[in-house]
Amino acid sequence: MLIQKDVKILQPGIHVPDNKHYTGEKAVEIMPASKKVYISMSQGIGAPAKAIVNVGDRVLKGQMIAEAGGFISANIYSSVAGNVTEIKDIINSFNVLEKYIVIENDFSEEELKMEPLKSFEKDDIVNRVKLAGIVGLGGAGFPTSVKMSPRSKVDTLILDGAECEPYLTCDYQLMLTKYKEIEEGAHLIAKALGVTRIKIGIELNKPKCIELFQNNTDLEVVPLQKKYPQGAEKSLVYVCTKRKVPAGKLPADAGVAVQNVSTCYAVYQAVINNLPLYERIMTVAGKGIKEPKNIMVKNGTPTTEIIEFCGGVTDETIKLVRGGPMMGKAMYIMDGFTKKMDSGLLALTKEEANTQMPTNCINCGRCASVCPMHLTPMNYDHFCLADRYDKAKDYGVMNCIECGSCAYVCPAKRSLVQSIVVCKTKIREQMKKGGK
Amino acid sequence: MENIIVSDSPHIRSPRTTKGIMLDVLIALIPAVIMGCVYFGYKAAIVLGISMASAVATEFIWLLCKKTKPKYILKQFDYTSLVTGLLLGLTLSSSMPWYVPMFASVFAIGIVKMLFGGTGKNIVNPAITGRIFAVISFQSIMIGGWLNTAIAPIDGNVITGGATVLTEMLNNGKSAIYLSNLDLFLGTGVMGCIGETSKLALLLGGVYLVVRKVIDWKWPTIYILVTGLMTVFLNKFDFAYFLPSILSGGLFIGAIFMATDYVTSPHTKAARYAYYISIGLLTAILRKATHMEVVSFAILLMNLIVPLFDQWFRPRPFGSTPLRERIQQKFINKGGKSNESK
Repeated sequence: MLIQKDVKILQPGIHVPDNKHYTGEKAVEIMPASKKVYISMSQGIGAPAKAIVNVGDRVLKGQMIAEAGGFISANIYSSVAGNVTEIKDIINSFNVLEKYIVIENDFSEEELKMEPLKSFEKDDIVNRVKLAGIVGLGGAGFPTSVKMSPRSKVDTLILDGAECEPYLTCDYQLMLTKYKEIEEGAHLIAKALGVTRIKIGIELNKPKCIELFQNNTDLEVVPLQKKYPQGAEKSLVYVCTKRKVPAGKLPADAGVAVQNVSTCYAVYQAVINNLPLYERIMTVAGKGIKEPKNIMVKNGTPTTEIIEFCGGVTDETIKLVRGGPMMGKAMYIMDGFTKKMDSGLLALTKEEANTQMPTNCINCGRCASVCPMHLTPMNYDHFCLADRYDKAKDYGVMNCIECGSCAYVCPAKRSLVQSIVVCKTKIREQMKKGGK
Repeated sequence: MENIIVSDSPHIRSPRTTKGIMLDVLIALIPAVIMGCVYFGYKAAIVLGISMASAVATEFIWLLCKKTKPKYILKQFDYTSLVTGLLLGLTLSSSMPWYVPMFASVFAIGIVKMLFGGTGKNIVNPAITGRIFAVISFQSIMIGGWLNTAIAPIDGNVITGGATVLTEMLNNGKSAIYLSNLDLFLGTGVMGCIGETSKLALLLGGVYLVVRKVIDWKWPTIYILVTGLMTVFLNKFDFAYFLPSILSGGLFIGAIFMATDYVTSPHTKAARYAYYISIGLLTAILRKATHMEVVSFAILLMNLIVPLFDQWFRPRPFGSTPLRERIQQKFINKGGKSNESK
């Protein structure tokens, strides 16, 4: 049983209706492979990967088709067996030109596994994670191997099982079924980091998971009250350990490493089962989807096929979102191809997606009162519209984690996140120009 | 599904809107309006009606002059001018001739609000400024024009044509208070403007606003308490002054509805503490010095320096160096520039 005083809660933050009922109790279905997969070369933060196959080559499922294009970049593997038919630039669903490798599936399911590891030492694990092309599967897509070799000393590993984003249930389903594998994966990461203390933060709306992890694993479970954005790195570190990550620094500077539970599972698959990362669990939900599902989807599957697999979208759909509703991106067109870090595909109706036009800011201060980073979003909005990016920087805009809490509560429906992103981009541009 | 909408995140938004908040304020003012009409009769309703109608009309005419499409005018109408008109009417006496609420409303909406850019752009509270405009422009009507309530006080004397309780108290000390605290709280026998007589009605409205999370209970409470305690302090720690000083005059309507106006109050916690404490101190001190329009002027003056409060009491980003360490750094290595951004 849970004792109330053990339950941790993030102090600022917002209460969002979680809408997890669409797919909450639905077991993961494996989506059949599609005829053609389009694998993007830029999956996650950092430099795009470089293709190492040519048109006409035959590739196997699990064969490396592109290698990391820099330090912060990850290898990419084929998700089907078949022939490479094209390597071309396509405008993706977010209106960005990206390089894609198109592979025609021959349905032979011929698989190529990585070589089993001989020893499980620190460097072996990190190298294997790097080779397997694992990135943070929570949504940011930061290469996990980089996170596993921090510059400063780390003493605690925190697993993010909060899944504070509404609608998404992919981590929940994974935790229900694969808790043993997650535990193993966490131990592997802990070994690579050289830490012994592993905590996992789970929100109270997932009581089954809390019980499972408390009874069956040796991880230290931190029950969390439901609040958004509790799964964000810095917030999670604060609620689980009461340590504050210094402004402008990484969690490692507070002696903590944070990993998503699905990343742990991917690490387990790569190290123990020798499988690289080419598929993931995705939540397809929203009022606009006829049959909401949790599906195991292969990297590069066209979104139109996913939507078809889930019964199609209703006529009332006005918005298609990749990722969670708070931090995900709206799609310009229905066509698009999945990537490693896509945790969800949502079709929102008018009722759910509030698309009112912004009105004047009434200075109510709600955005500042909910900001988990203690910032003043209304100021950034003013500064952005007035082109005063230097002022915005003075007011600490670079600390923003873009969680969207401010814009969620805004009664004037102002696009605060957009203003903040503009400020940040402009400031980064200026810094590059200034050679700092 | 034909067209899909593309926008920035978040893709879900809270149901609360500016319009909804203003509607809540209007609902919270209903008890005060009812009590005003009970105490001062139909004339009070006429004053409120004129001020509300002219406030809305001013906004519409302004937008029409700016060649806004009529369809858009109706769409963007968010009840703010209705709230301003109603609050302004509540701070006037029911004996006003028709043109006083009208001119005050036109000034409040036309000059104070619309000229600065409409909702959210005004630098001072329109209702307060409208009232001050009326006091200065129509001095003979406004000052001494207070009427007694229709309901006699429960225990206390009825004084006709005299000064209000507050003025008496400020001029002649506590012996001159001719009404009990209960009368002051209920507003029976209190001379004053339409809305400020019944503190009970205002308090009910305030509770509604707190329950609906439109305002935080802390801010009006701080304002009222600080004013009361400062009055006690200025009167040599005589606590007999505490309740009469907070229950008389326009303090309640000012604290609950005027000072908590979003647009003209600071937007972060630390700044708000400083703002409401200083506004309370200012009210008590001004009451000692002058005897008229104290709450209005205190709020108006503090409204003007809100941007400074916002700048001075900015929250530090999460994870920045704590204050104590910063001070230590500053004093231990003098001249060494702290690498923290402000």
